Amino acid sequence: MFISLQLLHMSVFSQSFSPCGRFLAAGNNYGEIAVFSLSAALSPDASEASQKPILNFTAHDGPVFSLLSTDTHLLSAGNGEISAWSWAELIKKVRISCSVNDNSLIVGGGDNNIHIMDMETGIFKSVLKGHTDYIHCLCFKEREEEILSGGEDGAVRIWDARTNRPVHCIEVFKYEECARPQFGKWISCLATDSDWMLCGGGPSLSLWHLRSMSPTSVFPLPGCQREAVFYQDLIMSVGEGPHVSHCLHGGTVKAQIPCTPSSLNTLALNLKNSEHRVMTVGGSSHQIDVFTNFSYRAFSLSF
Amino acid sequence: MCFLNVICVPDEVIRKRLLIDGDGAGDDRRINVLMKSFTKWCHSNFSPEEGFSQYQRMLTTLAQCEFSMGKTLLVYDMNLKEMENYEAIYADIERSITSAHEKIAECKKEIQRAKRIRKNRQEYDALARVIKQHPDRHETLKQLEALDKELQQLSHIKENVEDKLELRKKQFHVLLTTIQELQQTLENDEKMESDDTQESSMENGD
Repeated sequence: MFISLQLLHMSVFSQSFSPCGRFLAAGNNYGEIAVFSLSAALSPDASEASQKPILNFTAHDGPVFSLLSTDTHLLSAGNGEISAWSWAELIKKVRISCSVNDNSLIVGGGDNNIHIMDMETGIFKSVLKGHTDYIHCLCFKEREEEILSGGEDGAVRIWDARTNRPVHCIEVFKYEECARPQFGKWISCLATDSDWMLCGGGPSLSLWHLRSMSPTSVFPLPGCQREAVFYQDLIMSVGEGPHVSHCLHGGTVKAQIPCTPSSLNTLALNLKNSEHRVMTVGGSSHQIDVFTNFSYRAFSLSF
Repeated sequence: MCFLNVICVPDEVIRKRLLIDGDGAGDDRRINVLMKSFTKWCHSNFSPEEGFSQYQRMLTTLAQCEFSMGKTLLVYDMNLKEMENYEAIYADIERSITSAHEKIAECKKEIQRAKRIRKNRQEYDALARVIKQHPDRHETLKQLEALDKELQQLSHIKENVEDKLELRKKQFHVLLTTIQELQQTLENDEKMESDDTQESSMENGD
């Protein structure tokens, strides 16, 4: 009885694929991280049991709001702490917490600042101040080495990663075509594809051209979008409403694919592994929908 | 003699024969009957007509056996040819499967290209829409030119007016100084005159 109540109130907040692309880690609001084996679930002789996690452990006290995979580790962030789990150990069903890498980790926090941490030593290298309210989403442009951050204050700020100085600030809610005052001004999702940027949340999901800093298309999606990605020639976004929206760059919504959770929080694409190329979405349900062909739901994994 | 036949043949053949001809009706029985009647015909004493008719009957049975054997041989040939035909069709289908696979791969590449092209077109359209919102460059240049000209004219006029102002100021200055000088001279004159009359009246009083 208690377990079914717990399942009923579960929400999946974050997902991340393993570096080899064969495993999916999902974090929920109870602080648990479940690791699913994609190769078992996608194989022709998959059964009920293969849609359950191979490993389920409690990572944090509070909800696991974000998960990120590096080449060797899974980083999970809860309320105020970041833990690193080694993927090699997770796959062997044992968990160890450590952090070793040669890149830097960019963390956006509830203290309105962005911290850049050196992964090898664990020391914070620098702080980017500028936001006036907490930060919801971060994004990195590799070509120009820029960091984009969006937060509750409705501003998308662009920082230069080498000098750690702010380059631009776009206040999305000030643009009439995007603003939706009834939802607020917070920005909850950011995605970037070289010169283009997607941002959404309170204001409508809109596509921006970064060179000219102008919104080129606004997508007529009813709810607030929580996550959006660029994929080939499409833009996929999830948010309020039990569907994944496929949109074109021109501003038209091409399709809305229904899913089991009534509102979606996270979308992840597994592009690292060509055999298990799937899209998974999770939201206010204990089930995570898996799409093998992005046009329809194939099956669901459940916590 | 028939029993000897049965014992020397191998199992497979017996099994096959039983399958095809299990109940004894048909070719095998015909051959056995022929053999029996041949031996009977050899050993028995028939009258010439009976013997002859029995001989005819045996010939017909033999002919029937030959006919059935010929038929079986033809069927065997036919089966061999059918097998060859099927092999050829099989190889053909294999080839078309591989070519279809290749075509599918080609088409997939085409789709990727087309998707890229579509994305580029959409981005182009989106930017074009934004650009269209801004006014035409020629228009703006013309407006700028007209404004420039107006500005030049107005500054010209301003210069002229300023020059005139300077000139008038100088003229007024000259006029005022002349008037002041005249006033001074007049006052001096008056003073000199009043001094003169005072002197003359003082001289007269003495």
